[in-house]
Parts: sequence; structure tokens; C-alpha cells
Amino acid sequence: MEQTVKNPADGAPDYNFAYLDEQTKRMIRRALLKAVAIPGYQVPFAGREMPMPYGWGTGGVQVTAAVIGPNDTLKVIDQGADDTTNAVSIRQFFAKTAQVATTEKTAEASIIQTRHRIPEKELREDQVLVYQVPIPEPLRFLVPRETETRKMHALEEYGLMHVKLYEDISRHGHIATTYAYPVMVDDRYVMDPSPTPKFDNPKMNNMAALQLFGAGREKRIYALPPYTKVKSLDFEDHPFEVQTWEDKCGMCGARDSYLDEVILDDQGNRMFVCSDTDYCAERQEAGHRGPQHHDQPLGSADRGKAAE
Amino acid sequence: MTPQPQSTSAQTSDLLPGFDHTAFDSNAVFRALLDAMSRPGRIYDLPVAVSAPDGLNKAATATLLAMADMDTTIWLSPSCVTKAAGDHLKFHCGCPISTDVKQADFAIARISDDLSFVTDLAIGNAEYPDQSATLILMVDEISDQPSMTLKGPGIKDTHSLAVKGLPESFHAWRAENHHLFPCGVDVIFASETQIAALSRTTRIEVN
Ligand SMILES: [Zn+2]
Repeated sequence: MEQTVKNPADGAPDYNFAYLDEQTKRMIRRALLKAVAIPGYQVPFAGREMPMPYGWGTGGVQVTAAVIGPNDTLKVIDQGADDTTNAVSIRQFFAKTAQVATTEKTAEASIIQTRHRIPEKELREDQVLVYQVPIPEPLRFLVPRETETRKMHALEEYGLMHVKLYEDISRHGHIATTYAYPVMVDDRYVMDPSPTPKFDNPKMNNMAALQLFGAGREKRIYALPPYTKVKSLDFEDHPFEVQTWEDKCGMCGARDSYLDEVILDDQGNRMFVCSDTDYCAERQEAGHRGPQHHDQPLGSADRGKAAE
Repeated sequence: MTPQPQSTSAQTSDLLPGFDHTAFDSNAVFRALLDAMSRPGRIYDLPVAVSAPDGLNKAATATLLAMADMDTTIWLSPSCVTKAAGDHLKFHCGCPISTDVKQADFAIARISDDLSFVTDLAIGNAEYPDQSATLILMVDEISDQPSMTLKGPGIKDTHSLAVKGLPESFHAWRAENHHLFPCGVDVIFASETQIAALSRTTRIEVN
């Protein structure tokens, strides 16, 4: 019953489309349909070993493998960059096993797999964003046992979560959590958007694109359908705030994007650049310039490994 | 009068084919289902050509070919139970078919059937609301006429949906189902050529 796909390019032996066998993809697909029907709820699935270590996004890779079809165009980002080892190897994995087109341009992608960032460019209805998640359970650090956290979600027992955030405020004067900042989904489930920076949390709210989350080690899938209410947890006297920077991007001058600090030399010279490399390149192509630009060729060495 | 060749069994020669290309067609049908469940009430064309056995229609058959296998139990309402449908599902999906509706992962019925079974479908439990059934309801016609106004996750403002022949009792059941959230049953409407879905999160206003 299993059908395999021949790779016409290299005459390689038959193998499964997008690596996973059809039965595994069906199982993941069933979990995905439940996940979108119960926004923010973690659906258990029988995860498979992938030909890459955990921490390399095996959960996201399995979700992408179940979703991707021959007509898709895939973009993979690690932090905001398309050119890190992790992003490149995942992109090559699908180019090889599913013969799909790949891109570094957000606007051209039908599926975007990400490890941290949500692209700065607003996503569309015809795009799917797949997150690789290391720790799917937002209550894990409060209660280590899965049976307990499951019960807390069932009973909407989120008081402890609020207490922990409030302790953060009393200790730091503000909520110090900057990554994996918990959100409330459609007024029902507390969800971990990990490990995205909280800067990106507002983009999850009412996003036009479908958002899918895969945790490989913990074998959980969860989802946000398009146009779903996603609210970062906060308090009346300490409202949720995203990070801001005094600087603008040294390359493209953007003030609205998430910036990485880059050490330029051993003299302590540094600059800030957009973590979203495609966003930054597109702005430079459109003629925007930051203070450190000097009209270097696009993708110059200064930018190079900034995101790593 | 000529004896049948020994090599072909009568049973398999009656069988209709499944998908032309298992991997690609399963993926295409799944993507339509994923879109439909992510955007309740929006109507999607069946992306592949399939043959439907007597008792099922094309979109319902394609949905089962894409989603069902030995790990999912199928329940067929009495009007869908035919030898052809049973053979087709057993051969192409390898799925168990139960006569106990409570066991169903996928329940298949015709819109003109007695739908009182829906309250027996599995709704999951508070800790595992995903352990619920999906109802595949075969219908003659789906359109975006405003006979229902839908709201909820997946819907920007509202979606309009009309399903020909939907009984009043269906709406009462959906209203009750919505209150069970996060438990509940999700619905896939399947015409010959199109699908649309209702998630358990979907709020329905009948106009
Ligand atoms: Zn920039």
C-alpha cells in the first residue's frame, strides 16, 4: 500500500516523500486537525526518530513533513536568519526528501519553519508558520509532572502561573521573562510560544496565517488557527510590554524590528542589526540605509554570523 | 461458462482504486481538511479525483483515504453500510469498522439520516479533549449563502455557510457541543466535490 517517490534528479533509491512514511504522516495529520480544533491545547502524538538530534527542531520537522506537499515553497529560519547551520540543514533536508522549492524570502514562502522568530513582514492567509518547540508545557517549571500540568489545564488552574509572574515583578520591578513568555489562547488555554522572544508575541494575535507548533522530544503538537485571540499574560498595574531598542538597525535603519547586537571587532565596536535577515535585505534593496551601512554589498561579512 | 483465471479473486476485481498517488493525493486532501478546520465555514474544492464506492460520496471517500488507517475506528450510519463501502475502506485504509458509534474516531452519515446518534459520539475528556470523534456528514450542496453566520477562532469577522437539508436538531446539538469545550465533536461537511468544516470552537447563528 505504501507508495514511494523516485527522485528523478539523482536516481536515488525509492524513499518516502518528505522522509516520513504515510502512516506516520497520517497520525501527525490527525493530531494537527485536533490541534486546530482545540487552540492552544497540547495534543500528544507518537513522535518518530528523525535523522537529526533533538534540539535541531525534530518536532517542527515532523510537522512540516506532514504538511508539506510538492507545490510548497519552504523557508526555514533560526533566530531571524536563513543562513545558520540549523536552518540550512532543515531546508536541504526537505529539498532532498520532498523536492520542494526553498526560499529565503518571507513573501515567497508557503510554509515557514522557525526556531525563534516570527518574520517581521506580516504573514498572509495562504502561509503556514511551523514552530520548533523545545518545551511545550508553560506550567512545567511550576509542576514537573505531566499528569499534574494536564489536570491544571483541564481545570483552568492558572493561578500559580500568575503568582510566578507577579514574583518576577516584585523581584525585578517588571516581568523579566523575555523568551517563551506565556500567552492565553482564546481565553482558555495558557500556551508556551517558546522560544520566541516576547517581542513577537503580539504578532501571534489574530495572525492571518495558520500557526503550528511541534515539540519533538516531548511529542506534543499544538496550534493557533488564523484570527485567534492570543494575549500575553499580564497585570493591570504591570501591562505586557515588548522590548524596545534605543538604536536602530545599522544596516537598514529600521526602528520597528527586533535587533541583535553584533560585535564588530576586538576594539569593542558594536552595532545593532535586524535579526530578520530577509526583512533587513529587503529594506536595503528598497534604498533604506542605517548609520553603519557604508553601501557594502548585501549580505556582507559584517552581517554574516550575527544571529548565531 | 469460461472458468475464471485462478490468479484474480472476485473480491479484489470488484474494488475501485484508491488514490492515484498515495503520498501526493493524501497530502492534497489533508491540506484541504487542515484549511477547512482552520477556517471553519470556508468551502474548499476536493483537490483530487477519486472513485467513491456505493454508500459513500467522493469527498467523504477522499477524507477517509487520507485520514483513516488501522489506528482509527470507522462507524457508518445504516444508509452508508454497503459491501462496496466496507470492502473499499478495509482494503485501502485497513481501518476497523465498528457498529458501536461510541467507538468511532470517524463517523460517516448522510444528511438525510436520523442523526440522533451524534450525542453518542466520543467528545474526549477534560484532560484529553482530543480523544473525540469527527463527524463526516455527506451533503448534497454546500454554499456560502448566509443561512448560518459563523464566528470563532479561524474566522476573521464572520463566515457565511449554507448546507442544504441541515435539520434544526443539528443546530441544537452544535450549540450544546460548543458549551462542552474543550471537549466536543468536530464536523466535516462533504459534498461530491467540496468540503467545509465546523470546529468545536465555532459559534453558529442560524439566520
Ligand atoms: Zn535592518
